[in-house]
Amino acid sequence: MTAHVPVRPFALVLGLLLVLTVAEVVLAYFHVPPAMMLTALLGLSVLKAGYIMAYFMHLKFERFGLFLLLVPATVFCILLFLGFLPDAGRGMMEGA
Amino acid sequence: MSVSKAAVLDRPWAGGTRPFAMGSKKLGMWLFIVSDTLTFATLLIVYTYLRMAAPSWPTPFHFSPGILFATVMTFVLLASSFTMVLGVRAMSEGDRKAAVRWIGATMTGGLLFIALHLTEWRSLIAEGMRPFSNPWGDPLFGATFFTITGLHMTHVAAGVLYLGVIAAGVARGRFSAEDVEVSGLYWHFVDLVWMFVFPLVYLMSVSLP
Amino acid sequence: MSEPAAVPVHHAPRGFVRRYIFSTDHKVIGLQYFFLALFSVLVGMLLSLAMRYHLTNPDAKVRLFEMLWPDGAAGGLMTPELYLSLMTIHGTIMVFFVLTTAPQSGFGNYFLPLQIGAEDMAFPVLNMLSFWTTFLALVVLLAAFFVEGGAPLGGWTAYPPLSAIPAAGPGQGMGMTLWIASVGLFCVASLMGAINFITTIIDLRCTGMTLARMPLTVWGWFVTAIISLLAFGVLLAAAVLLLLDRGAGTSFYVPGGLIVNDRLLDHKGGSPLLWQHLFWFFGHPEVYIAILPGMGLVSQVLSVFARKPVFGYKAMVTAMLAIAVLGFVVWGHHMFVSGMSPYSAIAFSVLTMTIGVPSAIKTFNWIGTLWGGSIRFETPLLFAAGFVSLFVAGGISGIFLGQPTLDLYLHDTYFVVAHFHMIMGVAAIFGIFAATYYWFPKMFGRSMHSALGKAHFYLTFIGVYLIFVPMHSVGLAGNPRRYPDFKEFEFLAELGGAHTFISLAAYFTAAVQLLFLANLFWSMWKGRPAAANPWEATTLEWTVASPPPHDNFGGVTPQVHQGAYEYSVPGRSRDYVMQSEP
Repeated sequence: MTAHVPVRPFALVLGLLLVLTVAEVVLAYFHVPPAMMLTALLGLSVLKAGYIMAYFMHLKFERFGLFLLLVPATVFCILLFLGFLPDAGRGMMEGA
Repeated sequence: MSVSKAAVLDRPWAGGTRPFAMGSKKLGMWLFIVSDTLTFATLLIVYTYLRMAAPSWPTPFHFSPGILFATVMTFVLLASSFTMVLGVRAMSEGDRKAAVRWIGATMTGGLLFIALHLTEWRSLIAEGMRPFSNPWGDPLFGATFFTITGLHMTHVAAGVLYLGVIAAGVARGRFSAEDVEVSGLYWHFVDLVWMFVFPLVYLMSVSLP
Repeated sequence: MSEPAAVPVHHAPRGFVRRYIFSTDHKVIGLQYFFLALFSVLVGMLLSLAMRYHLTNPDAKVRLFEMLWPDGAAGGLMTPELYLSLMTIHGTIMVFFVLTTAPQSGFGNYFLPLQIGAEDMAFPVLNMLSFWTTFLALVVLLAAFFVEGGAPLGGWTAYPPLSAIPAAGPGQGMGMTLWIASVGLFCVASLMGAINFITTIIDLRCTGMTLARMPLTVWGWFVTAIISLLAFGVLLAAAVLLLLDRGAGTSFYVPGGLIVNDRLLDHKGGSPLLWQHLFWFFGHPEVYIAILPGMGLVSQVLSVFARKPVFGYKAMVTAMLAIAVLGFVVWGHHMFVSGMSPYSAIAFSVLTMTIGVPSAIKTFNWIGTLWGGSIRFETPLLFAAGFVSLFVAGGISGIFLGQPTLDLYLHDTYFVVAHFHMIMGVAAIFGIFAATYYWFPKMFGRSMHSALGKAHFYLTFIGVYLIFVPMHSVGLAGNPRRYPDFKEFEFLAELGGAHTFISLAAYFTAAVQLLFLANLFWSMWKGRPAAANPWEATTLEWTVASPPPHDNFGGVTPQVHQGAYEYSVPGRSRDYVMQSEP
């Protein structure tokens, strides 16, 4: 890294993250179906995570290859977890 | 070595060079973050799965103190990430004193986060919430809450210790700018995880008026 | 960077402890892993012999059992609980401490830096830590035999709810807790190893070692490390939750209304299926963690001993990557009878069939590598060819089991046992044998006895088929697995002969392994001294002395100018071109 990295973009990102957080909190008080709420909140969270990785963790300024090594495989695995969900509620002998 | 520097930059994967133009420690930390991401993601999918399976799920968090506390904690964590960015920046400019100050500020943020969180844990415990039961219904509410936030808090605590070691070293002239950057990566990751814990565990369980 | 400037020649530390015990030298650590795996495989094999003996002689009183397990075999008669605990430890030790440890951590540690022209791994201290964590995990696992109640009963999969309830059986108390702790430690160790392997391969390849010039062994370790990095974190989280269910009263995996040992449990709301999902999300990739390094090695060995380039290098690499990706999307095929959603079952079944494609690509390429070669029938080649045979034989029964309708019948029978022992167990072990015979000269500077090695191969090869082919039939006849004896089942009575045959074949195959042990230890001290490159192979580890010096290349960084498989190149004086030759 060279000297005199500008602070401004990072401060702006911090501001944006704070605003998005407030937006999430406000959103949480709307009366909408849980699935919609979950989608909206997760969407905002992914956006926030993206900013944190791109700016704070500097991924935007690294070689693109690093992104390719790290992110697709991780996201792929996390998406696969959704394959558990059709079974939620199965085999849970409730009632006692 | 007979290979010129320009040739290396042209062909980053040709060997004898670091393809991502970063030290091995930094790459190693990134890889650790990948594996730890999956550990946290596992806990969050477990939470989602059990919550979907449950006939009803408690939504006990009132705006004050629960949501307000958690929102402030989110702010603290985000701000501490920013001070960490400034610490890394100071170090890259060779200003060790400023770096130590900013890392110190980051650690303070971390400690504040833990203090707020423990206060909140205490009030929930006082209300009767336990890992195995709670006054509002499904016992897994407490189990998932304490497990997920507990593991996250452990990560914050470990991060404060890690930053402490780094700050002490930097003050005594040890560690390179990249070493500080690597510790910063870890800190931002802990912040990043909270960006998912906060909406999933807190905001999805607000007590709607 | 903070590293000091390179010093031309590094010497090994002088003190015994720093040199051989807490060493940071990847070669010493590789050997430590190798011997840890050797010890584990002997323990695991002896446990399986005890089980086979009990299955065919359920009423026999054995003094040795009583000496080893005074509680579980009072009077020498093995209790059903003891049988199950032997099975649990056999499975756990074989999967984790042999099949995961030897090919990846053992040979990978020793030969990865040598093959890519590096002085050591990227993180030597982390490497040492990773070994000692594995060692601790093994100690904790074996300690389960010696605590009250003995080792756990749940098999290596430890399905809840019974694994979450300490009162569920004698081994489910302290023994189960130790089992979970051991698996958790193993996860941590494997993650450290995976980070180290990936970083080393990306950062420390010497000049000229492009990705396309890497030996397929390195590709095998690389892909395996990536799988480990993504899979072990999941098991770690799952194990922590299981521990909480046992210790903190949570009910992640325990459903409500469960009655265990006539007592209604307090737990409520959990799902045993959830553990199966998490476990197999790790567990299926784990199968490929065990087999992929073997695949890389077999490609290497077949090419060296056929004196031909590997047939379809790029296809081999692509197939490995495809197997890694597909390995993550098929975990549900272990759960067809679990009561999972039948719609997901169909999806998992189709994806499972898809794995046949890259597997077939690899198999045909192995055969293509041998085709028309001037084959040198040395022991490593024989074991590599044996690997291919077992991989095909064990893989075909996988296609049966991948169909939900067939699996309903075959699930939890000896058919499954035969299937996974052939493909994951014995095939991977053949890979380890091939690696041992192939690299022994480099590791110890001496050669193993060739005739003894060939005898070991032929007898083992015949032996394992004699064990596992009849075992398929026994399974098709409906014989369930995990039963300590079959006395009470009339319909299994006529299978007694087959079981006796299997047991005898198992004793025979186990006895044959004494040949290997004798050869291994005799050759270490008395074997014929080996040259630097006895097999006339091209990769970098053969450019240095046998055994290699402490800093691998004597402080000189090698340069690579060739691919890894330049055999029988026209216009050259020799039939091979070293990677370092211009």
